[in-house]
Amino acid sequence: MMDKAFIYRNPGADNGAGPLKGLKVAIQPNISKEGWPTEAGSNALVNFKALEDATIVRRLQGAGAYICGSTRMSEFGFGLEGSSAGESVQHNDADAELVLDLMGECRLAAGRASACGFKPSYGLISRLGLVGLIPSMECYGMLSGNIKNIRDMLKAVAGPDEMDFSLPDEKTPDFSAHKIDPKKNTIGLITEAQASLPAGREKTFRAAVEELKKAGFTVREMSMPDFPLFSLVHMIVGSVEASSCAGRYDSVRYGRRAAGAKNWNDMYLLSRGAAFGLLLKSYLIQGAFFQFDRYEAFENACRIRARLIKEIQHLASQAEFLAFPMDSYDSTGAPASLAGTYAQFSSTIIANITGQPALYLPPVSGTAQTGFQLAGPRLSDGRLLALGEHILNARRGGK
Amino acid sequence: MEFEAVIGLEIHVELNCTTKMFCDCPNRPGDEPNINTCPICLWFPGAIPRFSQEALEKASLLCLGLGAELQPKSAFDQKVYYYPDLPKGFQLSQAHLPLSRGGGIEITDESGKPKMLRIHHIHMEEDVAKLVHEMEGRLPISLVDFNRAGSPLVEIVTQPDFRTPYEAMEFLKALRTQVRSVGSSECSMDNGTMRVDANISIRPRGTDQMNTKVEVKNMNSVRHVGDAIAYEISRQSAAVQAGETVMLHTRLWDPEKKVTLPMRAKFEGPCVPDPAVPVIELSQEWIEKMRTRLPEMPAAKAERLVAQHGLTADEALFLSSDAEVAGYFEELVGQGIAPRTAMHWLTTQLLPAVKERKLELGGSHINPARFAVLLRMLSNNEINANAAREVLAHMFDSDESPETIVSARGFRQVSDTVTLDALIERVLAEQPAAVADLRSGQGKAMGFLIGQVMQASGGKANPKIIRELLSKKLI
Repeated sequence: MMDKAFIYRNPGADNGAGPLKGLKVAIQPNISKEGWPTEAGSNALVNFKALEDATIVRRLQGAGAYICGSTRMSEFGFGLEGSSAGESVQHNDADAELVLDLMGECRLAAGRASACGFKPSYGLISRLGLVGLIPSMECYGMLSGNIKNIRDMLKAVAGPDEMDFSLPDEKTPDFSAHKIDPKKNTIGLITEAQASLPAGREKTFRAAVEELKKAGFTVREMSMPDFPLFSLVHMIVGSVEASSCAGRYDSVRYGRRAAGAKNWNDMYLLSRGAAFGLLLKSYLIQGAFFQFDRYEAFENACRIRARLIKEIQHLASQAEFLAFPMDSYDSTGAPASLAGTYAQFSSTIIANITGQPALYLPPVSGTAQTGFQLAGPRLSDGRLLALGEHILNARRGGK
Repeated sequence: MEFEAVIGLEIHVELNCTTKMFCDCPNRPGDEPNINTCPICLWFPGAIPRFSQEALEKASLLCLGLGAELQPKSAFDQKVYYYPDLPKGFQLSQAHLPLSRGGGIEITDESGKPKMLRIHHIHMEEDVAKLVHEMEGRLPISLVDFNRAGSPLVEIVTQPDFRTPYEAMEFLKALRTQVRSVGSSECSMDNGTMRVDANISIRPRGTDQMNTKVEVKNMNSVRHVGDAIAYEISRQSAAVQAGETVMLHTRLWDPEKKVTLPMRAKFEGPCVPDPAVPVIELSQEWIEKMRTRLPEMPAAKAERLVAQHGLTADEALFLSSDAEVAGYFEELVGQGIAPRTAMHWLTTQLLPAVKERKLELGGSHINPARFAVLLRMLSNNEINANAAREVLAHMFDSDESPETIVSARGFRQVSDTVTLDALIERVLAEQPAAVADLRSGQGKAMGFLIGQVMQASGGKANPKIIRELLSKKLI
């Protein structure tokens, strides 16, 4: 019973040295650490052990961090069903967690654990060793009780990796702490993002916005009529990528092959049928449907995605940062459905579509505050974290 | 009704890169099964493809060599289908944005007229694994060899410009020559480094209809491609004349029975842009740099050989089809050998001798410098043609210089008139009838007498001088 949060604990001692010395980091079993079980929460990878360290693990350890264990996760990190993300930080079993953020999982898990949850800019961190599902959307999320840990980890792991050609060829930004002058920063609100909020939640978010104004920030209301398209685009593009990505789980080279197949088509059907859970299976089938039967819908979704990115960039010319409300993760105990999962992540999915950094800020405990999300333009990670620190300080009454 | 065929080719060429297309595994499909594999080409979880610069360069050179236009932006897509030879449920191929567009090869058609056969586009893709089907007792099993999975390929897709099997064969021969000369592939249909599928449809001659096509696979020589196309044209013509409809499907060429037979229905999976392999962007500067690495292409070389060395068009075409042979020829000429002599001795003596010994021109130790010494002795009348042929045979077996072989084995031509006079006197005494014939004006007796003197000299006499001396004596 010791490990509700962990599926595996590091049997080795912590003898790291470097700037992250003493930092205990929990990872998920979709992040490769040599010899550790790497099943990514799926029967498709049952008994699979990583062959080598992921670049992110190598860099964290190189900077002195101690990878303390591997947490329970949803199947391939999609949604939060069955996931213990956030629990190890909440219970002080770890100082920080890596939580793959495909549609907002790290930020919602942070909300559940009353911690800070950060999704960095897409393309900052090497994906080598990540057992991914939606390559163009997912990022390593970082979850911790304080932003300093997140900043320190980001500094240690971001930057080019000659083993990952998919990283964009660009200069790694400076993540050092900036000073944020509220008078020089406008925070934008997207009207349509709040339109769908239930009345009670809208009120608490409004209260958080008032705090921002009180802290001296200019708050600007902006309209983005295309806002409802974010979830739709993610649903189509994400499921198509997931369907391709999961194509490798065919039981030919690894995984468990179902017995009793009459021929190899049969083997595929039986083995893949047994490999995936219900939620993921419906997602993969949806992706295959768009690949094989509605390719034009997929092409349209890609075009709309490019347009959404442009629109968000346009908003950035009117406000340095954006603030978003965030739903809390409510597990009803019933099996998760695709529609229900997407509904839960509707306010976090934006950053996964656009590749911009996003940060969930928790309320200060014992107050009536609500947590909310901040986002900045791509590669503004350092400034976004500084903004988060500034607001947290203000919320705690300091200046 | 008279029909004509509309034919297009899809040609897979395996690039002779040292590594696979997306990992560092050796590109040696023929090795012991599953030796050349790694987490990337086996698509283990967490692996990321790393596109090979060498594959890009070799593919680009191939495109430039075929007159194609490299595209500033190309990208890999996932061609989705499930088959055990495909380790990830999709093949990485450039379906939407190919590496190059356009290009073509000019051939000479059956009527002797030049005809341009255009290329639609050339794209890169990775090869799939090899399946081996065996029986384990009474249980059929399929084994997968992943050595070939990820080997770099290009696919050359032509326009439907071909009308006859002959044109297809001429195109393939020329294509092979051009690709070999840029050094991107051996292009051997025999060992599978060039694989050709043909799309064939027929229409009433003189119309410009595009009718349902049939794809034919499994030809493993250029001749088979011609035979398969010819068979398919007559099969489709007969079917249409019998009132049948041609259905879109794929057929296999059976080289034993010399027929095409229907195979599985053609399945085209969707092609989705791959999010993990970066888009390939080629700058004009890079393309120009590649162009400078392009060797002289065969057609240009043939033209130059005619202009520069006075060869016939056929001779020039023959030489330029093999960069090594052409290079050898030009080195001989560079050593001061007359182009005609060089051409004659290279093609009628050296190449057959090399082939007979199952050697390669570059692998034999008759290098151009050594061969030039022999030809120079011939030109200077130090040896005659007979002797030169024999010295050449000795040169294959020893490293001695041609001069040493000539001196040591007594091949030097006898040109001194005193020695020859004595031989001639002897022969004339022995052949009174021939002498009488010659004197009575029968010219062919001269050849006979020269032959006799040559024989008497043990093949070393200079036939030119014999003729002069005989003429002086008898005519």
